[in-house]
Amino acid sequence: MKKGFLVGLILIIAMVFVSACSDSSSGGEEAEGSSDSEKVTIEFWTMQLKPTFTDYIEGVIADFEEKNPDIKIKWLDVPAADLSQKILTAVSSNTAPDVVNLNPTFASQLADLDALVNMDEAVPEENRNKYLDGAWKANQIDGTTFAIPWYLSTEVTLNNTKIYKEAGLDPEKDIPSTYEEAKRVAKVVKEETGKYGYFPSMDLSLVLQHMVKMGAKLTNEDGTKAAFNTQEGLHAFQYFTDLYQNDLIPREALTGDQRSTIDMYQGGQVATFMGSQFISQIKENAPDIYKNTLPSEAITGKTGKKTISVQNIVVPKQTKNKDAAIKFALFLTNAENQLEFCKLVPILPSVKKALEDPYFTDAGENPEPEDLVRIKSAAQLDESELLVPPMDHYDELRQAMFDAISASMLGKKSPQEALDQAEKAWNEILSQ
Amino acid sequence: MIISFKNGVKQLKTNKLTPYLFLIPGCTILGAFIFYPMLQAIWLSFTKYNMVTDAEFIGFSNYEKLFNDDLFWQTLINTFTYVIGVVPALVILPIFLAVLVNQKLKGIGFFRSAYYIPVVTSLVVAGIAWDWVYKENGLLNYVLDLLHIINEPVHWLTSTQTAIFAVMVVTVWKGLGYYMIIYLAGLQSIPEDLYEAAEIDGANWWKKITRVTIPMLMPFVLIVTIMSSIAAMKVFEEIYIMTGGGPLHSSETLVLYIYNEAFDRLNMGYASAAGVILFLLTLIFSIINIKFMGKDNTA
Repeated sequence: MKKGFLVGLILIIAMVFVSACSDSSSGGEEAEGSSDSEKVTIEFWTMQLKPTFTDYIEGVIADFEEKNPDIKIKWLDVPAADLSQKILTAVSSNTAPDVVNLNPTFASQLADLDALVNMDEAVPEENRNKYLDGAWKANQIDGTTFAIPWYLSTEVTLNNTKIYKEAGLDPEKDIPSTYEEAKRVAKVVKEETGKYGYFPSMDLSLVLQHMVKMGAKLTNEDGTKAAFNTQEGLHAFQYFTDLYQNDLIPREALTGDQRSTIDMYQGGQVATFMGSQFISQIKENAPDIYKNTLPSEAITGKTGKKTISVQNIVVPKQTKNKDAAIKFALFLTNAENQLEFCKLVPILPSVKKALEDPYFTDAGENPEPEDLVRIKSAAQLDESELLVPPMDHYDELRQAMFDAISASMLGKKSPQEALDQAEKAWNEILSQ
Repeated sequence: MIISFKNGVKQLKTNKLTPYLFLIPGCTILGAFIFYPMLQAIWLSFTKYNMVTDAEFIGFSNYEKLFNDDLFWQTLINTFTYVIGVVPALVILPIFLAVLVNQKLKGIGFFRSAYYIPVVTSLVVAGIAWDWVYKENGLLNYVLDLLHIINEPVHWLTSTQTAIFAVMVVTVWKGLGYYMIIYLAGLQSIPEDLYEAAEIDGANWWKKITRVTIPMLMPFVLIVTIMSSIAAMKVFEEIYIMTGGGPLHSSETLVLYIYNEAFDRLNMGYASAAGVILFLLTLIFSIINIKFMGKDNTA
């Protein structure tokens, strides 16, 4: 008994010691931040840009530091998969970085917790007007803007023309631009070659995007009730269930992440998929497939809607150098810097001026698939929008829909039953 | 120490305290990184906490919600399926491997390290490689087709019936070498004279195995059972990499569920409650193991 008591005592002492330690260290940091008024240091986190874009980012930082000798930028690159966890840990321990590159979905969760600076207030109007309207609005939840848009992309379909020819299809005419056409390609390719004609990814929020493109409305106006249990919603469930159960799309559509999609395309197993963001990777890993790749506009439903994805820059409220942080965020996303970035990788800028550059309209002679991706992507920017806006409890909603459509595709439920299930789940989540 | 010799009473006291002084560094580290987070998690399980705003005490609500959550029960069943499937294989198969590599053969070191390689292989790499093995047009289906065992490809990782079992195989594959080493140490600690004595008593090789080897290995079997069942309860990486818990949560285990709740949905309090349940289950499991299997080996 005595021994146990002693061990317990030591443990408690240890704990007190530890908690005292952690308290004093965070206190120390605060003092450091406020006393250092001469030169401020901004911590800047990006999402998986090293090592490919190290030179570019370091160049931008060097330019900025030259123009603002009183501000120093400390850059940290975080793997995409770890970013959400890292930023959360940092925010909860009150050591948040000053400028962070996030996506609207995750940023909206942080905004929901009131952890981000409101950009409508922090950014002067003359600066705000420089950004594309759609890109700016993509970072809004409940009417407040929680981020500055950085780079954008619209979906461009990649088609392996070799498989089209093998299946007796004409790449010029038969490349699908609608879901119905994609279904036809899937059928013909499967029958003629045994390969897959179409690989629609159901990953992450893509199920919701497919549904919106097919004309389903996700929620009612004020976002309090599910609104997708309609003819259109049912059609979406039915469509993917048919494809899956007739083995017209790979079974990995349900479990696979994007890795398996690219693997299969690079392996010459899939004729058509939406994955233009991976074009550089395909060029490097599978040059033969790349040579036969023909980019085309995004596949959509009867609404003609196309989706845009936005990378953004947020400033956490915990920052002690808000002005400097905003200054850097605006510098990073200005026309000149964005244009330079876009020339390194097929992405689109979020500022109007950069988009006017001929680089986005003129493919030049003998364009490579990479150039075509850029041109197609820029051309459909006007008709693209953020199809699934940031919503509260987004992750739960998305999961509920994914579970329902999975049940339908796997034959555990009929499409209508699955849709009813999703509606019930959404109503429960939305009423929270 | 020399000073304490001067005073007998003082010496006694110092000597009694000395071991605890040695324990302080270890306890501090354990306290900081194991016990403190553990207590913190227990506290959080009674709160609503999203990592950003302050934790709000809500009593047993998290547990109530947890017990009414079908998905929680399903992941619990999956976890037990995993334990039942993986533990016997990890307890029994490595014994054979250990006996095999315990032979005095030329180059036995090579075989020992060969069996150990999966243990040191990064699970991410192994997971991706196994993913290819299991693909519809992957290696496994190809071999089974060649042997005329199957007529059409089996959807190893993409069917609700097989996904979890396919991942189990990877866990077993990865664990074999590790437990083999433990058994190997056990085998080598059995004194030669026990076998000699058995021989004098007229025991054949089978008797030697059943009456000497296995009883002497029992403490190691106990350790392996406990370690492998705890590891199986906490399985995460294989599943995260290979199936992500799908299709339709059929391979989602408790830890993956906790991870998703905590880091995707930011329900830290709720995830902590599930974590506490996992902790209790692991504890009960270990106690049962020790009680049942440790009986004969308490000497």
